[in-house]
Amino acid sequence: MTTAVFVRPTLGQRLAGPAQAVVDFLRVLSRRPVGLAGLIGIVFFLLLAFVAPLFVPLTNDPDVTSLYQTPSLAHPLGTDFQGKDVLNQIVYGGQPILIVAILAAFFSTLIAISFGSIAATIGGRLDAAILAITDVTLTLPKLILLIAVAAIVRPTSFLFLAVILALLQWSSLLRQVRSQVLSLKERDYVEAARSLDLGIFHIVFREILPTMRSYIAIHFILAMTEAMYAQVGIILLGLVPLSGANWGIMLYFAYNQGALFFRDSLWYILSPIVAISLVQLSLVSFASALEDIFNPRLRGA
Amino acid sequence: MTAVPVATKPIGVGWNPRRYFGGFWRHPLARAVLKAVLTIWVTTTLTFFLIRLMPGSPVELKIDELIQTSNGALTYDDARAIASGLFAINLNAPLHEQYLSFLWSLVRLDLGSSFLSSGTSVTSIILAVLPWTLFSVGAGLLLSFVVGIGLGLMAAYRRNSLFDHVVSTGGSVISSIPNYLLALLLIVFVGVQFRLINFTSMRGAYSSGITPGFTPAFIADIFYHAALPITIYFLTQIGHWILSMRSATLSALEEDYVTAARARGLSDGRIRTAYVGRNAVLPLVTQLAISVGFIVGGAAIIEQIFAYQGVGLRLLAAVTQRDYPVIQGVVLLTTVAVVVANLIADLLYSKLDPRIGRAGGAAG
Amino acid sequence: MPVLSVRDLSIDYLTRRGPVHAVRDVSFDLERGETLAVIGESGSGKTTLAIGLIRLSPRGTRVATGEILYTKDGITSDIRKLDDDDLREYRWAECAMVFQAALNSFNPVISIWEQFLDTARAHGLKDKHRVHDRATELLDLVHLDPQRVLPAFPHELSGGMKQRVLIALALMLEPQVVILDEPTTALDILTQRSIIDLLRQLRQRLGFSMIFISHDLSIAAELADRMLTMYAGRIVESASVSDMFYRPRHPYSLGLLRAVPRVSGALGSVVSIPGAPPDLVRLPKGCSYAPRCPYAIDECRAAEPPLIPVDTPRHEAACIRWEHVAKVVGTAEVAVVEKLA
Repeated sequence: MTTAVFVRPTLGQRLAGPAQAVVDFLRVLSRRPVGLAGLIGIVFFLLLAFVAPLFVPLTNDPDVTSLYQTPSLAHPLGTDFQGKDVLNQIVYGGQPILIVAILAAFFSTLIAISFGSIAATIGGRLDAAILAITDVTLTLPKLILLIAVAAIVRPTSFLFLAVILALLQWSSLLRQVRSQVLSLKERDYVEAARSLDLGIFHIVFREILPTMRSYIAIHFILAMTEAMYAQVGIILLGLVPLSGANWGIMLYFAYNQGALFFRDSLWYILSPIVAISLVQLSLVSFASALEDIFNPRLRGA
Repeated sequence: MTAVPVATKPIGVGWNPRRYFGGFWRHPLARAVLKAVLTIWVTTTLTFFLIRLMPGSPVELKIDELIQTSNGALTYDDARAIASGLFAINLNAPLHEQYLSFLWSLVRLDLGSSFLSSGTSVTSIILAVLPWTLFSVGAGLLLSFVVGIGLGLMAAYRRNSLFDHVVSTGGSVISSIPNYLLALLLIVFVGVQFRLINFTSMRGAYSSGITPGFTPAFIADIFYHAALPITIYFLTQIGHWILSMRSATLSALEEDYVTAARARGLSDGRIRTAYVGRNAVLPLVTQLAISVGFIVGGAAIIEQIFAYQGVGLRLLAAVTQRDYPVIQGVVLLTTVAVVVANLIADLLYSKLDPRIGRAGGAAG
Repeated sequence: MPVLSVRDLSIDYLTRRGPVHAVRDVSFDLERGETLAVIGESGSGKTTLAIGLIRLSPRGTRVATGEILYTKDGITSDIRKLDDDDLREYRWAECAMVFQAALNSFNPVISIWEQFLDTARAHGLKDKHRVHDRATELLDLVHLDPQRVLPAFPHELSGGMKQRVLIALALMLEPQVVILDEPTTALDILTQRSIIDLLRQLRQRLGFSMIFISHDLSIAAELADRMLTMYAGRIVESASVSDMFYRPRHPYSLGLLRAVPRVSGALGSVVSIPGAPPDLVRLPKGCSYAPRCPYAIDECRAAEPPLIPVDTPRHEAACIRWEHVAKVVGTAEVAVVEKLA
C-alpha cells in the first residue's frame, strides 16, 4: 500500500456511486409498474425524437398520387394530404415539441429556484412582492393570455416560444423552493456555511437545493406536460408561424384540411394525437411514481 | 400565560398588509379581495404595455393601416386621433397619462370599440358571448367536481380493490390527454367513424329558431348545444378530482378523530359524510378556484373545435382579424371573471371551514 | 363477578416482515368500581391492548386468540363474538374509550354540541332537548361552562378543556367501564392535577370501573387500586398499588420504580434501564426481559416464565427469581421509590 494521502479517484470510481444510485432507484421504481411504464415511455420517445432521425432519412417529398393512403408496407402509418409518409413525420416531428417543452421546463425551474431563494433569503418587502406576483400568476387564465401574447408578439423561434411558455409556469415550484429555503435557513449546516463566508449562491446551490432534488425533478416533468399542452394548443390554433416536421403542425393541417371528416385519413390524425397523448401519459405516470417514492405519506398496510 | 416576545419581522407570512394597513386586513376575506384587485391591476398593466410598447405594436400598425387605406388623405395626427378613439387611449398625451386614462376608462367599463365595426363597443361584444363560456365551463366543472369527489371517496374506501384501480387509473389516463385532443378524438370516432352524433346541428350556442328565455325548450336547447364542450370539460377534469379526493380521504381516514368517532359507536355512514367527507373536501375547494382559470384558458380551443360561440371563439376570431381592442377586452374580462370565481371559492371555503376567520385561540 | 374479564388475549400486527406479536397471552380481571392501571414503556403493547378491548384495531391486525368477557346485569358476553350492531352499542354505552392526547379526538369542522348530538343519536337518543339537558349536566360535572363550550369548535378549546369534554362525553351513556389512554400526557402539570382530581371525583360519584394506560407511575399512585406492568406484549406483574410500590417482585417493575426521579434527594439516584425492548417479530427465546435484567440466570433464557403467585395475596409476577427480587427490595416499610436517596 503506497503512502499517498491524496489519491484522485479514477473515472470508474467516480461513476460507481451514481451508477449504484441509478440501479437502486430502478429497483424501487420497479415496484410501481405504472411509474416504470412511464419511464420506459419517456425513454422511448426521447430515443424516437432524438436518436431515430439519425438513422431514418427524412422523406419530405409530396406525392400527389398517393393522398391519404391507408397503412401499407411502404407507409406503415399511411400518408397525409400531400402524400407524405406519416410515420416519417412522426419520427421527425417529436424533436421540436420536446425541445421546446424541455427548454420551457428548464427556464421555469430556473426562475422558480432563483426567485424563490431570493425571496426567502432576502425576505421583507421583496419577499412580499414576489409572493404577491406568484399568487396573481396562479389565478390567471393562462391559455387566454398565451393566445393574446402569441397573437401580438408572434414567436418566430423555438427559444422564444419556450421562454414565453416558461413565464407562465413557475408559480408552484417557487413557493416550494421559498418555503424550503426558509425552513433550512436557520439550520446548523447553513449557519456553518455562512460563517465560512461561502457566499449566498454556494449556500443555495450546494447546501439547500440538493435536498429539494425530488421536488425539482417532479416539477420539471410536470412543467414539461404543461408546456406541451400549451404549445400544441397554440400551434393547433395556427398562432405560431413555424414550419417543418412537428406533431403540432401535423394536427393543424389535419384539422384545417378537414382530415377529421374523411374516413381514410384516420391514421394521419390519430398518429400525432396518440404520440402526444402517450408522451403526456408517460410523463404524468413517472411524475406521480416519483412523488409516491419521495413523499411516502400513504404507504398501505 | 406569560407574554412571549414576538419577532418583529414576520417570517413566511408573505404579503402581510397588517403592517401597513392595520387590523382590518387581518380578515381573510379582505385579503382575498385585495388579491383579486391586484390580479386585475397586474393584467391590465400587462395588456397596456403589450399593446402599446411591444415592437410592431398594434397601435402603430393600426395608424399605418388607417393612413394607407385613406390613400394619404389622413395625416399622421388624424390617424392617431382615430386610433385613440378605437383603443380608448389618448395617444397624444405622455405615457403615464395614457396609462391613467386607460385605467380610468376601464373602471367605467369602456373598452373601446371594435376595429371592424366602429360603432360596436367591445364591452357589448364580449358580454354577448361571455355568459356562454361561463355556462359551459361552469357546468362541466361542477359536474366533474361532484362526480369526481363521489368516485374518489368510494375509491378510497375500497382501497386497492378493482373498483379503485379502474377508477383511479382510468381517471388519470383520461385527464392526461390534452382536452383538445380528446375533443378531436371524440369527433373522429363518435362523429365520423361511427356516425353517432350529428355535429353540425350542435354548432353555436343555441339553435337559431328558438327565442331565448327561461322556457324549458330553450334550456334544453342550450344544453344540447353545450353538450360536447361540457363533456370534454367533464372528462378532462374528473381524473384530477378523483385522485385528489381519494388521497384527501385516505389522509382523513388516518386521523385520530375518525378512530375516536368509531370508538363512540358512530355509524359508518355518518362518519363517511360528516367526519371523513367534509374534512377531505375542504382542500379541494381551493383547488376548484384555481382550476377555473385553467379551464377557461383551454375553453378557447374547445370552442373553436366545436364551433361554440363563447368568449374563446370570439377571441380567436379577433386574432385572425387583428381586432386588438377585442383581444384586449377579452383578456381583461376573462381575467375579471376568473378572479371573481376565485373570490367566490375563497368565500365558500371560509364558510365551510370554521377554523378560518374566527377569533381562534383558547382561554385556559 | 368481575365486570371485564380478559383471558389469554393475543393480538398481532400483520406486516411484511411477519406478524408482530404486540399483545401476548394477556389475562386480567376488572372488578366493579375498581381502577386498574396498565403501565409500560412505549411499544409494550398497552395501547394495542386497550384498542383491542373495544375491537377498534386498525386494518392488518389479527386477534389470534383469547376472550374478552363483559358482564352486565348478570349476563356475560364475549366481546369478540359480537356482531357489528351490538358492537357499536357496546362501544361507548358499555365501554367508553378516551384517547391519548384529546388534541385530535374531535372532528375539527363541527361544533362540540353537534359531536354530543352525533354520539347520542348513534345510540338511539334522538330527542334534542333531552340530549341538550344531558350535555349540560355532564359539562357541569366536569366543571366546564356549557354556554361557552357547546357552541364552540374544537380548535377554540385548550387541551385541558378538550380532555374534560371527552371525559364528559365518555360518561354520557353511563358506561360501566371507562378506558383512558394516557389521559394526562399531553397536558401541562397544573392541568394534569386538575384532570386527576376530576377523575377521582367522578369515580366516587358515579362508580364506574376504570382502566387507564400510562407510562407515568405517579398517576397510578394517585388513582389506581391495582396495577399491571406490561413488557414486550405480556403482563409481567399484577398487584395492588401498594404491593407494586412497596413490594415489587419483577425486575422490570423494580427498574421502572428506580427510574422515577425524585423531587428531593441526590442527583445520582435515578437509574434508567439499560438496553431496549425486544423486536416483537423475532422474540428471544426465554424471558423477553432477560437481556436487560440484572438478575438473569441461564434458566431464565430457557423458557418464558408464566405469571406465578408471589408472597402477598392477589399478587403475581412473571419471574422465576422473584424471591431474589424480594430480597433486593428489602423491608416493606418504605416505598421503593423512597429508598434510593
